[in-house]
Amino acid sequence: MLSDLNSVLFVTLLPLIIVAQAVVVIWLVAHFGSDSIPANQVFQTALEKLAEAVPASATLSDAERLQLLLLSQFNFYLLLIPAMIAIGFATFSIVDEKLSRSLEPLLATPVRTWELLLGKALSGAIPALLVTWVCAGCFLLCTVLLGWGHLLSLMITPSWFLTMFLLTPTVALLSFILGIIGSSRASDSKSAQNLAVLIVIPVLVIIGVQLTGRIWFTTLPTLLLALGVGLVDVLGLLVATRLFQRESIVVKWR
Amino acid sequence: MAVVETEGLTKAYDTTIAVDDLTLQVEEGEVLGLLGPNGAGKTTTIRMLAGIIAPSAGRAWVAGLDPCRDPERLHEMIGVLPESPGFYGRLSAWRNLEYFAGFYTGLDVAGQVEKYLKAVRLWDQRDEKVGTFSKGMKQRLAIARALLHEPKVLFLDEPTAGLDPAAAREVRATIERLGREGRTILLSTHNLAEAELLCRRVAILQTRLLALDTSENLRQQVFRPETVVEMQHVGDLVLKAVRSLPYVENLQQEEDRLIVQLRSPETAQADLVDCIVKAGGKVRAVSQRIHSLEEVYFSLIAEEEGDNR
Repeated sequence: MLSDLNSVLFVTLLPLIIVAQAVVVIWLVAHFGSDSIPANQVFQTALEKLAEAVPASATLSDAERLQLLLLSQFNFYLLLIPAMIAIGFATFSIVDEKLSRSLEPLLATPVRTWELLLGKALSGAIPALLVTWVCAGCFLLCTVLLGWGHLLSLMITPSWFLTMFLLTPTVALLSFILGIIGSSRASDSKSAQNLAVLIVIPVLVIIGVQLTGRIWFTTLPTLLLALGVGLVDVLGLLVATRLFQRESIVVKWR
Repeated sequence: MAVVETEGLTKAYDTTIAVDDLTLQVEEGEVLGLLGPNGAGKTTTIRMLAGIIAPSAGRAWVAGLDPCRDPERLHEMIGVLPESPGFYGRLSAWRNLEYFAGFYTGLDVAGQVEKYLKAVRLWDQRDEKVGTFSKGMKQRLAIARALLHEPKVLFLDEPTAGLDPAAAREVRATIERLGREGRTILLSTHNLAEAELLCRRVAILQTRLLALDTSENLRQQVFRPETVVEMQHVGDLVLKAVRSLPYVENLQQEEDRLIVQLRSPETAQADLVDCIVKAGGKVRAVSQRIHSLEEVYFSLIAEEEGDNR
């Protein structure tokens, strides 16, 4: 029962904290940092990239452009949600099967290893994706409620849609596949989490790269990134299937 | 027709040989008992036959399929009751069976789950979490799970291990019924009486196959037939007379009983009694000593351990 409650809190509170944190940071920066931050060389580069990608932003004030820059990062920031949920749940997937000894009867059914692993990944990734989309909706609502609604039309670009509906699903799936790899190789969920936490690093890199203006994810780069992650999903599933040593799991886990 | 067949089936883990050169056949509709001490390779044999682990050498065919090459098709045709029932404790009995049934193609999931929950008498507990079930209930539920897709062949790994006598009796009754339905069953067990009751033939395993036959034939192979003559008193004259008979191969005295090995008991038994009576002995009863499967088992295992020393 307690475990169920923890799970519910984990998938509701954690995403809400991520959304709230983003909203608070953007509000603080817009109110207290709009004079100093645009002068920073790093942000200048990013703001120049933003101006190239969204020419209409040239008409905005410095504070608004800074706000738009930060708002535009949020769809990438959201990628942390499925990654975090995967660390919390996927890492238990095979470890739990090992502990409850339910893996052996499962392996005696006609399910193929890749089907089993994909099923496990999807059963976690789909709810995580739905939570992420709900968070995106909450974030957009907050944007309007805080009076930044006029920036939405500049923020919601084809790249935003690609991130939300192509990149986020592929990242969610990858997070769960990595969690499952960790879970099938580890002897306990803690060790599995150590491996799965790796998924957070590329997400942080993407945020960092765009925030510092090194690469601005317009439509094509976003599409390529999403397709690349999709390819990594397929490779990840193949690796997961290869690393899933059913014999070792069944024989050694007593 | 053999439904399960192995040829030199071997499984080695690093330097340990779990199953060594196992060759056996299980006929269609037969219940074959797999007997052996802990670590004899019973579970490993079942896992190899069920396509869960791969053999190191040799081959196996189950329902005409190679478990290594065609595990998914094989799993449509076999049911496995593993050593540990392995359920999701937080799900109900119904949800657990529904989940496992979902892996089989063309199955009326709800219908089959209902059928087998009723068959193992867990229908009233269908909405209860499996975590709250007793060991016997879990075992019955595991049997239901193994039967959901109406498999032709069943592999049952120690189905009554750790159960109380009532629960074990119930599980045995279920297995007996399955045998009568004509399913081919490979039953691994420690319980020799259970094997004798349920199985047409038994295979005694101690890493390698020590014996494979009906209990009756194994008794005859391991122990020579013995005639037990119960008397009022065994005197020296009687002993001397019996020893002098040409067809007596061995004679032992246990208080007022004579245990005699005869060359051909069917014909010689009447002569033996006649001889005892003529020597002044008073015979109270004559019977054949029937050795239990347990005696056969221990004799074979002891012989194997002696050979290995």
